[in-house]
Amino acid sequence: MAEYDLSKTIIPYLDRHLVFPLLAHLAEISTFPPEEVQVAQYELAKGTNMFDYAVSLFKEINPDKEVPSDFDHKRQNAVSTNERLQLEAQAVLDVIENPDVAQALRQDKNQNLIYLKDNYGLTLEQITALYNFGQFQYSYGNYSGAADYLYHFRVLSTDNDLNISAHWGKLSSDILTGRWDVALEELNTLRDAIDNRSPATLLAAASAAANNLPEPTLAQLHSRTWLAHWSLFVYFNHPQGRTLLLETFLSPTYLNTIQTSSPWILRYLTAAAILSRKVAAGVNTAGSAPISSKVRNAIREVVKVIQTEEYQYKDPVTAFLKELYVEFDFEAAQKELTLAEEVVGNDFFLSEFKDEFLDNARYLISEAYCRIHQKIDIANLSERLNLSPEEGEKWIVNLIRETKMGADAKIDLGKNVIEINRPPLPVYQTVIEKTRQLAVRTQALGVTVSRAAQPQAAPTNNTKPEPQTPAVAVN
Amino acid sequence: MSHFFRRAGESDSESSESEDEEIMSSEEEPPQKPTTTAAKSGMAKFLRTAAGSSSSDSDSTDGGETDSDEDPQGESGDESETEDRPQIRIISAADKRLKEMETSSQGIDNALRINDWVAILNEFEKLIRMVQRQSNLAEMVPPFFIRSLVKLESSVNSTIQKEKEAKKKMNPSNAKALTAMKQKIKKSIKEHEIDFKRFQEDPEAFQREYLNHVAQVAPPPPTSTIRPPITTGGDVQVDDFTTVGKGGRAMQLTSEGIFKHLQAVQEARGKKNTDRAEQIRILELLVDIAATTYQRIRVLLALISSRFDYNSSVSNYMPTEMWLSAQREVDQLVSIVAADSNYSIQEVTPDYDELVERSPTAESGPVCIRGSIISFVDRLDDEFTRSLQNIDPHGTEYVDRLKDEKVLYCTICRAQAFYEKTSQNDPLARVIMRRLEHIYSKPDAVVQALESALETSEIRPSMTLSQSGSSTILVHALCVYLYKSGNSLLRTRAMLSHIYHHALQNDFYTARDMLLMSHLQESVHSADVATQILYNRTVVQLGLCAFRSGLIKESQSILQDIFTTQRVKELLAQGVHQQRFQAAMTPEQEKAEKQRQLPFHMHINTELLEAAFLVSSMLVEIPLLASIDSDEQKRKVISKPFRRLLDFADRQVFTGPPESTRDHIMQASKALQDGEWEKCRDLIQGIKIWSLMPEASSVKEMLEKRIQEQGLRTYLFTYAPHYTTLSLSLLSTTFSLPLRSVSSIVSKMIWSEELSASLDQSAGVVVFQRIELSRPQQLSQIIAEKVAALVDQNEKTLDIKMGGTGGWGDRGEGGKGEKRGEQTQERRGRGERTRGARGGARGRGARFSQGLGNQMPGQAGQRSA
Repeated sequence: MAEYDLSKTIIPYLDRHLVFPLLAHLAEISTFPPEEVQVAQYELAKGTNMFDYAVSLFKEINPDKEVPSDFDHKRQNAVSTNERLQLEAQAVLDVIENPDVAQALRQDKNQNLIYLKDNYGLTLEQITALYNFGQFQYSYGNYSGAADYLYHFRVLSTDNDLNISAHWGKLSSDILTGRWDVALEELNTLRDAIDNRSPATLLAAASAAANNLPEPTLAQLHSRTWLAHWSLFVYFNHPQGRTLLLETFLSPTYLNTIQTSSPWILRYLTAAAILSRKVAAGVNTAGSAPISSKVRNAIREVVKVIQTEEYQYKDPVTAFLKELYVEFDFEAAQKELTLAEEVVGNDFFLSEFKDEFLDNARYLISEAYCRIHQKIDIANLSERLNLSPEEGEKWIVNLIRETKMGADAKIDLGKNVIEINRPPLPVYQTVIEKTRQLAVRTQALGVTVSRAAQPQAAPTNNTKPEPQTPAVAVN
Repeated sequence: MSHFFRRAGESDSESSESEDEEIMSSEEEPPQKPTTTAAKSGMAKFLRTAAGSSSSDSDSTDGGETDSDEDPQGESGDESETEDRPQIRIISAADKRLKEMETSSQGIDNALRINDWVAILNEFEKLIRMVQRQSNLAEMVPPFFIRSLVKLESSVNSTIQKEKEAKKKMNPSNAKALTAMKQKIKKSIKEHEIDFKRFQEDPEAFQREYLNHVAQVAPPPPTSTIRPPITTGGDVQVDDFTTVGKGGRAMQLTSEGIFKHLQAVQEARGKKNTDRAEQIRILELLVDIAATTYQRIRVLLALISSRFDYNSSVSNYMPTEMWLSAQREVDQLVSIVAADSNYSIQEVTPDYDELVERSPTAESGPVCIRGSIISFVDRLDDEFTRSLQNIDPHGTEYVDRLKDEKVLYCTICRAQAFYEKTSQNDPLARVIMRRLEHIYSKPDAVVQALESALETSEIRPSMTLSQSGSSTILVHALCVYLYKSGNSLLRTRAMLSHIYHHALQNDFYTARDMLLMSHLQESVHSADVATQILYNRTVVQLGLCAFRSGLIKESQSILQDIFTTQRVKELLAQGVHQQRFQAAMTPEQEKAEKQRQLPFHMHINTELLEAAFLVSSMLVEIPLLASIDSDEQKRKVISKPFRRLLDFADRQVFTGPPESTRDHIMQASKALQDGEWEKCRDLIQGIKIWSLMPEASSVKEMLEKRIQEQGLRTYLFTYAPHYTTLSLSLLSTTFSLPLRSVSSIVSKMIWSEELSASLDQSAGVVVFQRIELSRPQQLSQIIAEKVAALVDQNEKTLDIKMGGTGGWGDRGEGGKGEKRGEQTQERRGRGERTRGARGGARGRGARFSQGLGNQMPGQAGQRSA
């Protein structure tokens, strides 16, 4: 299964600290030899300030060797740096934590700076100490502390580069501490920052190594790629994550990022689309927020993308959807599903969703199957779904009960077949279907036009409403 | 004389031209006068032959020029006489020049009397020019020139004085001429300061001195006039030269002699009546004589340029031997300069004395010589292309000529190596582009052959085939260099060549992605014509690549754009456009278009192209036709050219056996419509042109498979109304497809609601559900569709208008990212087209044809006029 493992592809796009959970996962599953994973873990830890962890790893790998002495040295160094930075940061923190100050702070960062300087003598350099200390804490694994400091820093600082960097740091800390709600919020703000800000400043944190002054658009692409990878942590852990993932990744900008620089993300996109099938079908979402059309048509969209990107990226998960919806080869789809099951089970992000994935995938198969067939042999269908005949029967009964198919589908146990009686859609129905959304869409169009026309001059106003009118009239 | 010139040529330019010519005729003997009498006889003979063959040669070779030549000559009796007896002409010309000058100065005198400063200015300018010439030849400035200079100066001063006092002003043009005169005189007095002073001191003595000088010089010419001109071929002349030159050689071997010759040749360059062949011969001899590196570089530079000058007319091409020797000389030049870094050839250099030998030691640093290797290489390449354009591509001559590409390629690579060594980035980019142009459209075997020649050469560029392993990597390396260089034109062309190469290598996805990401389709219509042609070629190659890879729909939609224009040949620069309704093009346009034509070996076979397009159209269009049951929908056409042909074939009462490719395809389409896929396959596979495809057999196999599939679809569409059930196994045997793919195809059609039917798994049949639509139902469906399309269109328009702001509704995100957004639309559009293929083709198609529309601005103008 190693060929389908994406860890190696993904790791270059992650922060050093974010890789630890990934490697821990790899150590759990047996795709790679455990020794190699351990060595990798050690190499990873060596580059951080988490010396104790590194030393323990070292001992595990080489039980009979002496621990290199420079660890001690580095450790002392780190401790002293820590103290120094803490002192510096403490000064700022004392001021900020003062309730008077907290009240006096306003939206305008510049004004805040002036206020702090006038009343407490805080300079920009001192505030930067917050950032440094936060970063240092992050580097030795105190993620919650790092998150705090970086948050305070961001509130005060006006330096764009450092702010973005602090954003990334905070996001990473939140991910590592497992505060998914906060992380999600952080992710969204960071995404906005990337989309809106002048792209030149973005790269600072994202890839300082590869930063030989690339073009701004390229830098933006870089940051987006990074963000797409980091966001996987959030999206596959937050309860609403999958739907949000679809929202984000199916937006043109990110779809593009995926297509150009990281086609392997398609696996997660595909998985999310399959996982949120129920949400998309609108079955259990009575109370939740209305879902956008993007999520509703996620599968269709994803199939399109899979098809266009087939030459770049292919794995059992995407192949499953392709076989099912492009080739309509149920046998092949079933085979791919068996493979995909394993892939999903071994994937760091997806492993928790294995059963859910399987469930939904089966549902998709049977849905497609039923739509095309009129008379279905239950045994055959069960086989398609990788189920035993008894299980299959139960599954199908549930399926029929759960969905609206109940009216049309009947099980004939004597012949062991399902008969689906689907009367052709009346013509008026198709016409209604086609024209249903038009009124709303036209209205939205009108609103946008008038909104756009307000700040601008009048002429756009005159030209656009005219073509709409016929559309409204027909409705 | 001046009167004569006014009459002969109405315009100034012509008169000065003929004047030049007159002067030139005597110029063949420039060094004669200043040299000592000892060397004189040898020199004179040598130059005599030059002059003699010049007149005969120029008449025989430059047929095209005789028109312009004869005009002034015909009018001047003197001149026509010289045609017969060139020897007289030499003397008379020298004298005539003097006479002419005299007339000019007399004219000035006359004009002075009537105070006509415009005329004076005219005459004076003429005079100055002639004197300039005179002093160039190191002849004495005639005293009457100085005299008239003095006179003019005083009268100008006095006139200005008068003018100031006078109440009535001169007319403006006269006044203007006066001021110009004043400045001119000042300038020329300065130039001839010494003579001027001497003249002022003692006019008599000056006059005498001049006369003495002239008398001294005068004797030699008569001796040479007696000698009959040698009009035999070059070999004899060379012999003649060596024998005669023995005496003069001692002088020529000195560096000074070489530079003098060089200068003489250079001065004669570009003038009428210069015998180019003779000049080249002189220079060839000089190359052998040249002793120092500096001399050799100088002579080679001059020699190569004069070789390129050999053909003056634009339409003609350089003789092959000439081209080959030029190529060798460029090679020589490059290796000299590459071997010795003390010399460098640059386009811009500090001024230096042309007549002095220079060496690195004397200059303390590298010696810069004016010249440009890159322009030689460019020219060499252009001449090669031009010769291929002119040679009949079906003859053996063409093939022979094509073999020279190898040496040319070598030269280009050497130049590249040289520029790499000296790290001159601008010419390096140009030379790499040249190299790329030689290999980008060639199959691997040819590239290998070209590159193999490199192995033997002593200087090699950094990127070679042997290093990179495959032509793709080589092309990639070359292109990447060009992407990094600053020149946007080169970047565009490199990009297109790169895409072309990928397409040629059947790497469809890479090629397509590169084309879409380059956003060239948006800007190509503002590019120059050559780039547009390259763009068209690239797109077409991409279409062929899609066809070869079995991506029928993609191929169809890509090729569609160019075929709907019906000007395929013209757009690919593979043939001149036939004018049908408009007036013929002007000769200039025709000429320009001819120059744009690609040489034959670069052509993309248009018949193959058409076959690919029509077959893919057939595979897309026939099932579509079958699925349509009402007349309204019939107007939905994907491929107009195909539909037109099909309609035409339908109208024919009798159909004979297929002859042309089109016939084959049309009959195959008919067979496909009738469900006879085997007949269709046989017809399609019987097309002979497929053999030109690199992978003909695999393409044929692919086509068979596609025909089976589309045949099945067509069959289902056509006969569905007549069945209630249809067994899958029967379908599978009829179309000899595996049962699995039959059910896959049927399922697909059911899922996408193309076919109202369902599968009965247990019985293994398709059950059709036929719905008869009443007329109102039909119409209401149509109107619903149209309304939906309208709203879609509105949203799209708004999307585009809103552009950057974005963020409205769901679709708004499309406009968000500046460039990325657009790319998405592009990609999305592509996605839709690959699947739907209906009515798609808009976005890029429109732009593509825009690109075409702008291509011939002249024609477009005509058409609209």
